[in-house]
Amino acid sequence: MNTYEVFLKKAGKEPFSHAGSLDAPDDELAVAYARETYGRRSEGEQMWVVDRTALLVGDEINLAMADRDHKHNDGRLVAELRQFDR
Amino acid sequence: MDEFEEFLDEGGIVEPNDDMPEAYRSAIFSFIEMHANSEYMGGLTERDWIPRAPGLRRKMTALAKTQDEIGHAHLLYMVAADLGVKTREEMVTDLLEGRTHFHNVFHYRVHSWTDQIAVAYLVDAAALASQQAVFKNCSYGPYKRILRRVIAEEGFHMRNGEEMLLLMARGTDVQHQMMQESIDRWWLPSIQLFGPDSKPDDELLRWHIKSERNEDLRDRYIQKLVPQLLGGGFSIPDPALRQDSEDGKWKIGEIDWRPLEEIMRNGGPDSSRRISDARRAWYDAEWVRAALDEAAKADA
Repeated sequence: MNTYEVFLKKAGKEPFSHAGSLDAPDDELAVAYARETYGRRSEGEQMWVVDRTALLVGDEINLAMADRDHKHNDGRLVAELRQFDR
Repeated sequence: MDEFEEFLDEGGIVEPNDDMPEAYRSAIFSFIEMHANSEYMGGLTERDWIPRAPGLRRKMTALAKTQDEIGHAHLLYMVAADLGVKTREEMVTDLLEGRTHFHNVFHYRVHSWTDQIAVAYLVDAAALASQQAVFKNCSYGPYKRILRRVIAEEGFHMRNGEEMLLLMARGTDVQHQMMQESIDRWWLPSIQLFGPDSKPDDELLRWHIKSERNEDLRDRYIQKLVPQLLGGGFSIPDPALRQDSEDGKWKIGEIDWRPLEEIMRNGGPDSSRRISDARRAWYDAEWVRAALDEAAKADA
C-alpha cells in the first residue's frame, strides 16, 4: 500500500486545495479511491492525486525570513504626503 | 506541558509533525480511533438494511449512506495513523478482536425498519451534535479539517432520518405504533451517546479537543428532540420527563448508566454479534484486498 495526498479544485478561480489522504495499492486505484473518497458529491472539477513520497515538504526553516518590510507598502507615507499636498 | 497548554488556550493548532506532549498525542489518537471505529461499525449496520429498505429510492439512499460511513472510517483511520501510534491495520485488528471501543449505539440490535429510522434520526442527530462541538474548536488540525466533510455528510443522513420519521408520524396506525416502539428502544441509548457529565478536569476539554461539556450537549439535544417527537404524536419513554414551569426547559429523569458501563467493556446486548459480524465481513473480503495487491505488484 502507498499513501497518496488528494487535492481538489472547484470550478472558477479557486485554487487547488488539500482534501485529505488515502492508502491505495497502485496509482490507478489511487485515482479511483480519491474520486470515491473525496469527490463523489461534485466537490471539485479537477483532481490531483500525489504519492506522498513524491511531495517535497518545506518547513519553518525553509520559510524563515521570507516576509520582510520592503515587500509590502502599508501606505503610511503616501497618506502623509497627501496631507502635505493640501 | 504548561507552555503547550498556553499555546492551545491561545487557539494554537497542532499538526502531525509538530512536537506535542505524548499525553496529548495519545488522547487525540484514542479519540479519533474511537470515532473511526464507530463510523465503521455504523456503516456495517447501514449495509444490513440495503436489501431490506422499502423501495428503490430508500435502497439507493442506504447504499450512499453506507459508502459515506465507511468513507468516514477511512478518512479518520488515515488521520489517526499519521499520529504514528498504530497503523491502520493494527487499528482494524484491535477493533475486530474487541480490544478497542466504538459508540454505545452500535452495541444494540436493529430489529426493524423503524429501528433503522430511529438510528438515522435520534442517533445521527446526537452524533452530529457531538461532532459539531469537536469541529468548532478542535486543536488538532487534520481532524478539524476532515470533520468538515464528515459533518456535511452526517447532515444529509440526519435529514433523511427526519424525513422518514415524519412520514411515519403521518403514516398508518401500525406504522405509528412501530415507530413508537423504536423510539422507546433508542431514546436512552441516544441520550447516553453524549456520555456521563464531563469531569471538572477533563483533559479533552482542557486541550481543546472537545469544546463543550457532555451535559450541555445532552441538554441541548433534549430541548430540540423532545418537542419534535411530541409534535409527531409520539411519547418519550421517561416517566419523569417534565417541562419546567419557570424556564420552559425539558427535564429528564435520572439516567441509568449501567448499560453504558457494560458497553464500555464490549458487553452490550449485541456487542459480541456485532464484533463477530464485522470480523466475518473483514475476512470474507480478504481475497479482494489480496487480489488488488497482486494486481498492483504485477503492474510494477
